[in-house]
Amino acid sequence: MNRELVIAFWRQRGSAAFRMAFLLLVFGFPLLMTAAMPGGGLGIVRDAVGITMVLAAGMIGQDVSSGVLQLLFARPVRRSEYVLSRWLSVAVAAGAIAVLQIALAWLILNARGAPQESGMVLLTMLQRVVEVIQITAVMAMFSSLVNGVGDLGLWFATTVVGGILQLAAQAKGWGWVGRVGAELNRIVGPDVGLVALMRGTGGWSDLVTTLSIAALALLIAVVLVNRKELSYATTG
Amino acid sequence: MPASSIAVPQAVWHDAAPLMTPGIVVENLTKTYRRGFSGERFHALNTVSLNVRSGEVFGVIGPNGAGKTTLFGCLLGFLRPDAGRITIDGHAPDDLAVRAVTGYLPERLVLDRWMTGFGFLAYHHALARLPAATRRDDCAAALARIGLDPEAGQRAVRSYSRGMLQRLGLAQALLGSPRFVFLDEPASGVDPAGVVLFRRLLGDLKGSGVTVILNSHQLEQVERVCNRVAFVKGGRVEAIETLDAGSAHARGLRIRWAAGGAVTAELLRTAAERGGAGFVEATQADSGGGAGRFTARDDEGAARLLRALIEAGVPVVEATPDEGRLERLFLSDAAASPPPVSVEATRFMPPAVPGSGS
Repeated sequence: MNRELVIAFWRQRGSAAFRMAFLLLVFGFPLLMTAAMPGGGLGIVRDAVGITMVLAAGMIGQDVSSGVLQLLFARPVRRSEYVLSRWLSVAVAAGAIAVLQIALAWLILNARGAPQESGMVLLTMLQRVVEVIQITAVMAMFSSLVNGVGDLGLWFATTVVGGILQLAAQAKGWGWVGRVGAELNRIVGPDVGLVALMRGTGGWSDLVTTLSIAALALLIAVVLVNRKELSYATTG
Repeated sequence: MPASSIAVPQAVWHDAAPLMTPGIVVENLTKTYRRGFSGERFHALNTVSLNVRSGEVFGVIGPNGAGKTTLFGCLLGFLRPDAGRITIDGHAPDDLAVRAVTGYLPERLVLDRWMTGFGFLAYHHALARLPAATRRDDCAAALARIGLDPEAGQRAVRSYSRGMLQRLGLAQALLGSPRFVFLDEPASGVDPAGVVLFRRLLGDLKGSGVTVILNSHQLEQVERVCNRVAFVKGGRVEAIETLDAGSAHARGLRIRWAAGGAVTAELLRTAAERGGAGFVEATQADSGGGAGRFTARDDEGAARLLRALIEAGVPVVEATPDEGRLERLFLSDAAASPPPVSVEATRFMPPAVPGSGS
């Protein structure tokens, strides 16, 4: 990990007004909904996909398309170090914001007369952090595949294809197609199952699968960036 | 591995001049790209071999599409060659030990627009793993070195002009006193004062023993600062020209005189010899005036020649430098004829350097 890369990435994201406006929206809207409908409990702040997407989109691909990577890789920085720093930057920021969102939702629910069990709140926070770890790793993989913010497109395409396959499997009774669809959706939408695990109603497999997907996605991202030829020679 | 611990392999070199250290060695470098829908492969670089000695300023010139940029990309480890090998001080170009002592200025500097000029330098200072304790002072000194005032350094780079960006890029390339500096069209978009500054900085680098690779279309600049120049065309190194100051190569001078003096070829030859210069040819105009071509070793020699001609009674009205040698190389290329200048053979077969590869 490279501290300079992490800090520079945070500052870069913080200086992007459009992205920050989106972040405010995905952060604030569920809190408003929680305040308006306290009966929904913490369920309204359902996942951290929105927050992670806003911060992660183009995390590597934008550097490739803008051309800043040439200057960066002329420095003594390993490509793997770059990829892992990008992943860590997004994961830490998105995880922290997601945790803050849950904390604020908890305070709002308390104020609105719908207090939540503190143990459950902490578990939800932990689950959210694990989700962020996987989503960020998958976005790093997508971002190392396509330039710009094409990773968002890949994420949506994977989600849609996964859904279609599952629907088709239901309609036609194709078990293996449904399985493929479920796995695709699992890649882009983690199912950590931490709450069930702690309550003793679930196993470790969901958590292990989540962390395995994250590790594999990061490995693929590192390999892809390592193999990437920087498009220096477009003019020959 | 710290920069100072880069090992210099012991080797026997079969080049025209003995090497103090290996510097940059390129052997049979080949890089192809696929072109068009057919996927036909074309050679951006075709078995390029050259060596850049430690401490020399080495120019790379050639027409657009010649392969210069691809060569730079391979030298910097951005592109993977299909065949061949590059070593920099015996290491692969993407070795972190090499990068720790490398500075690079791309032709078009792309950077995060939110950064201030100072912040950009501080960021690269940190990436280069230079000591944090000296960061502020080093960056301030780097800004001053390229003529940007501290106030400009505190502004976001989005407000910088092209020339200011280029200056900032040069400042980052020179952070931490690199041993290898790659400059791709460094004076592109820079105002005349900037061009002079860049030339002075290049002179400083040359004086301090830094190995500089310079890709530039500004032939006059290349001719002024480079020890040697590789002429690249069609993915091949067509020639390597030695340009060392004080070399036997003479500088051309075209001199025109007015009517009124008794100017003969003999007078011109004698005056040129007295001025320590050479006389090439003269033509007489119908008006009674005329023009001649001379050669002088350097600027001082040209001044001596002019003085000698005037003292000999030649009514000189104009003296213009002849086209440069590199310009002639280009022109001869345009005319599809062999370069008329003496060229150093590009053959270079260094022995294998242990523990290296690209």
